[in-house]
Amino acid sequence: MVYIPRFNVYIPKDVSDALNALSQRKDLIPMGGGSDLLVLIRSGIVKADTVLDLWPLRKELAYIKRENGTVRIGALTTVSELCESDLIKDVRYAGLADVCKKFSTPFIRNIATVGGNVGAAHPLSDIALMLLVLNGKVKLLSKNGERTVDITKFFKGKRQTVRNHDEIIAEVSFTETPPNSSTAFIKFDRRWGHAMGYVLVGAYMQLRNNVIEDVRIAFDSMGNPYPERAWKTEEFLKEKEFSDEVIKQALNDVLPKEMKRITDYRASAEYRLDLSKVLLRRALLKIKSRIEGGD
Amino acid sequence: MSMIPREEWDKYPDVEITLNVNGKDYKVKVKPYERLLDVLRYKLGFTGVKEGCGRGECGACVVLMDGKLVPSCLVLAVRANGSKILTVEGLAPEGKLHAIQKALLDTYAVQCGFCFPGVILAIKALLDRNPNPTDEEVKDALSGQLCRCGSYLRFIKAVKLAAQYIREGKEYFDESEVRG
Amino acid sequence: MSELPEYVRIVEEIFDKYKDKEFLYVGKRIQRWDAVEKVKGRILFTADFAKYYRNAVFVYSVRTKYAHARIKSIDISEAQRYPGVLRVITAKDIPGVNDVGYVIPDQPLLVSDKARYIGDIIALIVAEDPNVAREAGELIKVDYEKLPVITDPLQVVDLRTLKEKEHPLIHEERGSDIVAHFKIRKGDVKKAFDEADVVVEGEYRTPFQEHAYMEPEAAIALPEADGGVTIIATTQCPFDVRKAVAKVLGITQNKVRVIVPAVGGGFGGKEDVANELGAKAALAALMTGRPAVVIHSREESIIGHSKRHPMRAWYRHAAKRDGTLLAVEANIVFDTGAYASLGPFVAWRATVHATGPYKVEAARVDTLSVYTNNVYAGAFRGFGCPQTAFAIEMQMDALAEELGMDPVDLRLKNILREGDRTVHGQLLTKDHGVGLEEAILKAVEASKWYEKRKLFSKQSGTLRKGIGIGLLWHGNSIGVEGADYSSATLIINRDGSITFRVGLIDMGQGSQWGMVLIASEILGVPPSYFRVEQPDTAATPDSGPTVASRSTVMGGAAVVNAAYKLRQRLNKVASTLLGCDPGDVEIRAPDVYCRSDPKKKVSWNDVVEQSFWLGIPLQEFGYFRAPPAEWDEETGQGAPYITYTFGAIIAEVTVDLETGGVKVDRMVTAYDIGKVINRVGAELHAEGGAIQGLGYALMEEVVHNKDAYVMNANLSTYYIPTIHDAPDEIIPIFVEAKYRRGPFGAKGLGEPSINGIAPAIVNAVRHATGLKFYSIPLTPEKVYMALKRAGKTPL
Repeated sequence: MVYIPRFNVYIPKDVSDALNALSQRKDLIPMGGGSDLLVLIRSGIVKADTVLDLWPLRKELAYIKRENGTVRIGALTTVSELCESDLIKDVRYAGLADVCKKFSTPFIRNIATVGGNVGAAHPLSDIALMLLVLNGKVKLLSKNGERTVDITKFFKGKRQTVRNHDEIIAEVSFTETPPNSSTAFIKFDRRWGHAMGYVLVGAYMQLRNNVIEDVRIAFDSMGNPYPERAWKTEEFLKEKEFSDEVIKQALNDVLPKEMKRITDYRASAEYRLDLSKVLLRRALLKIKSRIEGGD
Repeated sequence: MSMIPREEWDKYPDVEITLNVNGKDYKVKVKPYERLLDVLRYKLGFTGVKEGCGRGECGACVVLMDGKLVPSCLVLAVRANGSKILTVEGLAPEGKLHAIQKALLDTYAVQCGFCFPGVILAIKALLDRNPNPTDEEVKDALSGQLCRCGSYLRFIKAVKLAAQYIREGKEYFDESEVRG
Repeated sequence: MSELPEYVRIVEEIFDKYKDKEFLYVGKRIQRWDAVEKVKGRILFTADFAKYYRNAVFVYSVRTKYAHARIKSIDISEAQRYPGVLRVITAKDIPGVNDVGYVIPDQPLLVSDKARYIGDIIALIVAEDPNVAREAGELIKVDYEKLPVITDPLQVVDLRTLKEKEHPLIHEERGSDIVAHFKIRKGDVKKAFDEADVVVEGEYRTPFQEHAYMEPEAAIALPEADGGVTIIATTQCPFDVRKAVAKVLGITQNKVRVIVPAVGGGFGGKEDVANELGAKAALAALMTGRPAVVIHSREESIIGHSKRHPMRAWYRHAAKRDGTLLAVEANIVFDTGAYASLGPFVAWRATVHATGPYKVEAARVDTLSVYTNNVYAGAFRGFGCPQTAFAIEMQMDALAEELGMDPVDLRLKNILREGDRTVHGQLLTKDHGVGLEEAILKAVEASKWYEKRKLFSKQSGTLRKGIGIGLLWHGNSIGVEGADYSSATLIINRDGSITFRVGLIDMGQGSQWGMVLIASEILGVPPSYFRVEQPDTAATPDSGPTVASRSTVMGGAAVVNAAYKLRQRLNKVASTLLGCDPGDVEIRAPDVYCRSDPKKKVSWNDVVEQSFWLGIPLQEFGYFRAPPAEWDEETGQGAPYITYTFGAIIAEVTVDLETGGVKVDRMVTAYDIGKVINRVGAELHAEGGAIQGLGYALMEEVVHNKDAYVMNANLSTYYIPTIHDAPDEIIPIFVEAKYRRGPFGAKGLGEPSINGIAPAIVNAVRHATGLKFYSIPLTPEKVYMALKRAGKTPL
């Protein structure tokens, strides 16, 4: 039995009702699936006066749309819905399928939301990490209007985003990637099922005639407590031939320069760095084989 | 999780919700912060729904809510208002066992039984959408159900056996068939 | 023969009678009595009973802020005034003795002068709403004087000299933080090492392991009109809970009733914690006059109940060039945390088993159990054996490598066989049943050991396979820990149905079912005739605690006695009805007939009814007591256990050299359990123990920070195996080297089923990587770093 801190719940009728409430009240904390927020409240890490239940907004904000070369995912789409969609069957977005396979547990996927994963701003936010390599954008809504933020600029600190108190995450989107590209995501931990991960890596790559036309790489942490891109490593790899030596150089010479790992009771910095290299190499090899047909 | 409502709790006014549990409608007063888990267990008496961790990490508390497997410890009762809930108690009519339950008996998987309600519903959720799963698909579907007594290998066999029973048209069995 | 007590004679008589018989029920796969209730989700566990009580109160435990601190004062006034709070209970409110220690009275229920670990309880808040109780808990004001925190047992003693070091005492009232010290002194160890051809030495380390049973602890107490209390609790030891609660309340034991419903896993973790929960609930119930409910959260469970003792051990083995073991030396230190719990017994059992199931001519073993400010350690399946087995089996493989011998061959050269003496000088005879060699040979065959050992030695690529072996032995029941007795009652009701009462509980292992099968076999009645009553100190007899792999061996022997005597009486009654000799009566309920003339037949009901008319009682209390164990405190010589379960585990793994990740592919688990009684139960033990042992080997550890706070007190940071981690195959093999004084020759399997798992897995990783490992959990990082330092990582 978990002792439940007491709080009130405000159940909005629709998006504009929710935004209205947020603009007028300082005490509201928006809740998507609840799989993150409720645990934080019950551990005493977050003090909640009133929780704004976003679930009724699903009729407006749960969707996966592909139009005009853009993929738009409503923030209240559950991870399950994402994982059962046709989107992830597209080989270009196979990395999202990789996330799905390892994302928590089936029952958490049924309540966790895409917006919640991005809003959590946690190094282990798998979907946020993939959006980083897909050059994703986050749309924020408030009573006063909307604004779109690049996901690379969305996180500012441990569990901190640029979302203002009166805003909700309404949608994430990214431009459809070229046909000669794919993605991959790898997570590794000390057990094979339901693991948070010591190191998470997501990658996007575009190959033509074995030359890396474009590459984007993100890790659970590059030194900050939220997912970030490995800019220098990407820079190094761009325009180069996809070969064993090039990859090894990138991993051994470039990545360690921009990645700072921490040692905690779960794993040491040295192991995390080495593991990052290994997993990145595997991710890139996987993408290559996906582009060349046959997973 | 209160047994008796008290006046000083007007700070958190009761909310009346309707839940359809195992085919019957229930009207119940809940607190806004109350978990679906506690409402099902203590207010409606469905103690087949278990609490193992309260954080969505063990799978013991899962129920089917509108057909989807959800952790009832992380679902607020007010959010469940108006939904259809299936717990293990409602899996089969009185006097009958569901194919999944029969398969778990036939594979002799029973040890302490605490994880069983969650495992059974996770299997139901799987077979509902995938009537012929591979071993890998079974493991993925049960990846969130922890069993410390270690009946995992038997669960895999039981799912395949249950799938076979259902394919053969045997979704329910008479309880008298299994009682010695 | 005549000086043997009757209850032993009866067990031996049954053993002899059934030695070569075909069994009807024993050894067969028969569905357990509560299986249908469990798959229906109808069976009730302790917390489920709370739904029945309309005016219950909830008890919240306010725990200390610091792991080691003097408590100068406790101010409960604000908490008492918090709306909704009914009572705030502190140490001074305890009517009896403020202690719930299991072996040593060193563990206050509520602390008032000193906190020794992060789970110590300062006050209990009783309220109708558990949330209110918790909120009020934050208003308890405590004036602490912080003390230095000790998290490393080697701050308390030196591993080599075993001398206690200067340090701020955790248990000042005892004058020393060494709780127990056990020894073995045999032969001339110095001479053996001087003359040895090969000496292998190593320092080994094992972690705190958490039971992580799926059902967190709970207790519900109902106040009785005469000042007594009825407690529903999830516990392995109802009679010990009764004793502890009576002591805390200051009332007689017969006024405390403890009932045990279905228990969701125990593994040793529910041996003493229910003393605390029962006492908390009882105090609240008697002070408010209402049912009191205590349910621990998972975090409270991880912090607040005993763990497996972490071990630091230094071992040295001496051997001849041909592989014969000459001597074993060991210094073993167990961290028992803030309180002793079952620590002294764990240290004793570890000492007994410290040299492994091998012939050892000379040995010097010293085992110390010391206090620290970590969470307290106590009973956990294996009870000191998994720790020592790890060290021993690593040493054996190191020896094999040094000698250029196959690990199995080295072991076969040294194992205990019938006619050998253990390191304690105990002669192992046919009556004990020594099936270790057979277990090894069968495991070797089933796993294709020699073939794979060769095959896996020539590999390339990033994935490497390995195969490893671990042997185990496990003394049955409690040895010198106390008077070892058990009892059971069989009652044949007038309609022919049978009531079975035993004080041993089911935590998933279902040993009552084995006992029912024993009674079924002797009475000639199908198991479906029996109803297993839940353990209840007011109704079921004291069968001793459900621990030490003793239920089948000891409880079963008590059942043999009860069933035997009932059968004698039934035979007599039946013989008058049938007209044949009592010895000729065959009972195959519902039929009863003469073996020599089956046409002479009556029904089971006829016999039962006739017994009632004749005034022949059809209830019997069976009792069994194990012969007292012998143990010399100075030399460790004697006969510590009634018999030993033996086993051989072979594990196959695949190691990823780039990440250090280990996957266990397959395990062959061969156990000599004397006689398989409940076949399903035995198979489930082999499988379940393999998975729990896998967790111990590869992923489980409770981590404390330097302030002795637990860093990973939930199930997503304390990793137990999921279905993805289980091996693809677990092959149980049972060898039956019968124990003459066990029911039909049976020995225990509860704990042996985990003892040898971790060593087998680590030895397999050793084989795959060619590297030695000295500590578990063998996480990917440990494997990877070892590979990196040896220059064996591919990248």
